[in-house]
Amino acid sequence: MTFQTHEARILEVKELTSREKLFTLRFVDPGINRGFKYKPGQFVIVDIRGFGEFPISLCSTPTREGYFQLCVRRVGRMTKHMHTLKEGDIVGIRGPYGNGFPMEKMEGSTLILVAGGLGMAPLRSVLWYALDSGKYEKIYLFYGTKAYEDILFRDEVIHLLKHGEDMNCHVKLAYEVESPSCIYLEKGYSPRVCKGVVTDLFRGESFDVENTYALICGPPVMYKFVIKELLDRKLSPGRIYMTLERRMRCGVGKCGHCIVGTSTSIKYVCKDGPVFTYWDALSTRGLI
Amino acid sequence: MRYVKLPQENFEEFFNSLKRWGKLYAPVKKGDIYSFQNVETLSEITLDYTRTMLPPKKFFVRPKDEMLKLKEGHWEEANGTEPIVLFGVHSCDIHGLEILDKVYLSDPVDPYYKKRRENSIIIGISCMPDEYCFCKSLGTDFAMHGFDLFLHELPDGWLVRVGSVKGHEIAWGSEELFENVTEEDFHHFREFEEKRTNSFKRSLNKEGLADILDLAFDSPVWKKYERICLGCGNCNMVCPTCRCYEVCDLWINAYEAVRVRRYDSCFMETHGLVAGGHNFRPTRLDRFRHRYYCKNYFDPESGFNCVGCGRCDEFCPAKIEHVKVLDEVREGLQ
Repeated sequence: MTFQTHEARILEVKELTSREKLFTLRFVDPGINRGFKYKPGQFVIVDIRGFGEFPISLCSTPTREGYFQLCVRRVGRMTKHMHTLKEGDIVGIRGPYGNGFPMEKMEGSTLILVAGGLGMAPLRSVLWYALDSGKYEKIYLFYGTKAYEDILFRDEVIHLLKHGEDMNCHVKLAYEVESPSCIYLEKGYSPRVCKGVVTDLFRGESFDVENTYALICGPPVMYKFVIKELLDRKLSPGRIYMTLERRMRCGVGKCGHCIVGTSTSIKYVCKDGPVFTYWDALSTRGLI
Repeated sequence: MRYVKLPQENFEEFFNSLKRWGKLYAPVKKGDIYSFQNVETLSEITLDYTRTMLPPKKFFVRPKDEMLKLKEGHWEEANGTEPIVLFGVHSCDIHGLEILDKVYLSDPVDPYYKKRRENSIIIGISCMPDEYCFCKSLGTDFAMHGFDLFLHELPDGWLVRVGSVKGHEIAWGSEELFENVTEEDFHHFREFEEKRTNSFKRSLNKEGLADILDLAFDSPVWKKYERICLGCGNCNMVCPTCRCYEVCDLWINAYEAVRVRRYDSCFMETHGLVAGGHNFRPTRLDRFRHRYYCKNYFDPESGFNCVGCGRCDEFCPAKIEHVKVLDEVREGLQ
């Protein structure tokens, strides 16, 4: 049934920052676990039985099977409840929903991942998918964060700062709040780590626009500035992918909350998205 | 289409025979308003009603609807539906149900809606427009499908269009009540339809409407209505095609909970609100315009999302008129 959720057990809970936890889950039913196929950029609906449901993006990669991961920021009633859960606890999961990033179409190209804050979560799925598959020419990760303490997947980001070049993965980090840890990082990896905002990371970089795709995820205010940087470099609006957030209750295009657009262009973010191109945004009012 | 005639003297018997097929609901007058209610006898119902306050969607997407029941940590599907007969549905509402079908029966199918639709019999009835109706201009004034039987008023009975096998079985089951349609009945049917067509007082100019509305995004007309609109969401509740719903879990006792969905309204501030406090439609202007955009979205396959039933006008406490708003937006652009 469409709205029935499947039981999944929490295998591990990892505190990423003071607000975000990473949950590693596996379906209790091995058959469902085997059948659970998803694409980077898709999301699931988490069901805490008797308390409610909420949508959350998958931040693990489908190239690593047997489990999946969700990065949850404690921000509202449901996520606060989620944060109280421990290893061994059961939640309900339905999905995956949404269109996801067109990973196959982008094979052989350079990917520019632009993440702001929590936007790192869905892009981490793309990042690891691209690294695991090895089918992409070069991967840039531009990550804007508030402070050192807020860097999501900090171990992984620092590891890629150190060794990413060997895998054709070029990581750059911008932070806003100065701290000894940030200055230490900056000293080690200047100019790839700097104080500023995520658009500052574009400085000095040039791309082959015929063979590049940009993938953006971050807070609503970030899109406009990042897109300007990309358009200034003449990247086609069809090559700019963004993943968007809306209130979602059903995840399958019924409940109506995520409807965007006007009389000529109604779209459901959950069903037609959450990944849209900048061209979609140009032709659909209210998308970004 | 298959046509039969139901003479007036057999009408009551036919009406009573419908109870064999399910719980019978028909328009009943309550004070100044009409509503679909469970009825036992013909005397309870009003055949020449204008519009019910809540459209027939209330039987398929209920105002408050149990989806799942939590028992010992597992969700069980809430109990099923009973067969119903909806008697006296107007063609605009039949079109409204077809628009809901497009949403709820598209992949993935909404199981609750589907079960209820399959368990329902729709019997349409002809009507005369009042000052609010503008279905003719949207092409929803005549239903070609989406019903099992459709009754058209004749001076001495009803011309019945049979729209489905189920409808045929119903008529067949009371075969003795029906007659063949005569040349005179056809004449009366045509007369009625002509009279009806000429009785519409309101019409919507839909020429290029979808593009005009999109271009008029910043029209001062929206801002004018932002101040008039109370943001109550009445128009959403009574609209036959509004379908937004909110989901919540409710505890019945310490061990059992239910997952309930209920009507939601895009005029509520929470409609575009996400966790963390960002609101994608923060002002009433955004929300007012959003409803008009949603209703007037033109789907090449099925047309507009509005059926011209006039409910949002009749039940708006601020007396906002749908057609007038759209005409003003159109004029503002010129």
